[in-house]
Amino acid sequence: MTKQEILNELKKVIAPYTTNKEMLAGINDQTDLIKDLKINSANLVDIIIDAEAKYDIEIDYDSADKMVNVGTCIDVISEKIKEKNAQHG
Amino acid sequence: MHSTGSDIVSLNAIDVNRTLQFRFYSKILCAAEIARYRETGLSRIPFERYVWLLWSIKESAYKYLQRHHPALVFSPTRCVVTELEMPAEYSMTDDSIITLEDTGFDNQPVFKSTITVGRETLNSRSIVNSRFIFSVVNGDNGFEGTSWGVKLIDDANPGSQSEEVRTFLLAKLKSDFGSNDLQVAKNNHGCPILANGGINIPISLAHHGHWVSYSYQASALPELC
Repeated sequence: MTKQEILNELKKVIAPYTTNKEMLAGINDQTDLIKDLKINSANLVDIIIDAEAKYDIEIDYDSADKMVNVGTCIDVISEKIKEKNAQHG
Repeated sequence: MHSTGSDIVSLNAIDVNRTLQFRFYSKILCAAEIARYRETGLSRIPFERYVWLLWSIKESAYKYLQRHHPALVFSPTRCVVTELEMPAEYSMTDDSIITLEDTGFDNQPVFKSTITVGRETLNSRSIVNSRFIFSVVNGDNGFEGTSWGVKLIDDANPGSQSEEVRTFLLAKLKSDFGSNDLQVAKNNHGCPILANGGINIPISLAHHGHWVSYSYQASALPELC
């Protein structure tokens, strides 16, 4: 998957947890999940679980800790997809 | 400077079924914390409430530490609740609470815990009932000077939550100190403070669903007002 494809799907993962739809539409790598999208910290685990299901990947603790903004979310998801493909390839 | 970290969880806003899935709660609790629930009297409280109690303690600990270590990353499973004591008189249901404010926790049945984060050891007090979980963390075991408040609000929109919690706190301070000059602001690292002139006092604010909360060390306030 390209970075843009991951971003498009990530928007769908995040959407249920933010009321700031205008900001969601224009997110970029620097967009902070809590400060910018006003996502409650209690929903961060939901986003990780939903991302795991969406991409059929497993996000370990170290990687989950990095997922604080859109750019790091895309990096982690991209890395896990590559790991999955390498295992199955 | 003494400070606190606090967090509130609205139990109406959590997904109970999801919380009960290992895949979910294992991202919040470490293996020892999962085992402790099954091995002790803590199983008197529903498991989903246990998970969110520990979340609120860990989030509070992170907010406390982040003020002193701005680059700290929140990692729930590395923040370990090593001791957790249930209150002797614990009622799981209390639907009457709309607003609760106090200094110290002597008048409340609270869960007491010890938390370790790396080399740091912290302590917490938590109020748990059928509608919310509220936790406060500080660096020593004395909460006598910790002022705190919890309030039910009408509108759970993030903008409204933010405004309501600030109004709630400032009303309390005006009542206690009669000052109209205090402002809620953020320091250079984004942590909330009470500001008046050149003096800043750390505060902790939290909101989730229809609940908002605050905490601060009351001993610092006379200097500010």
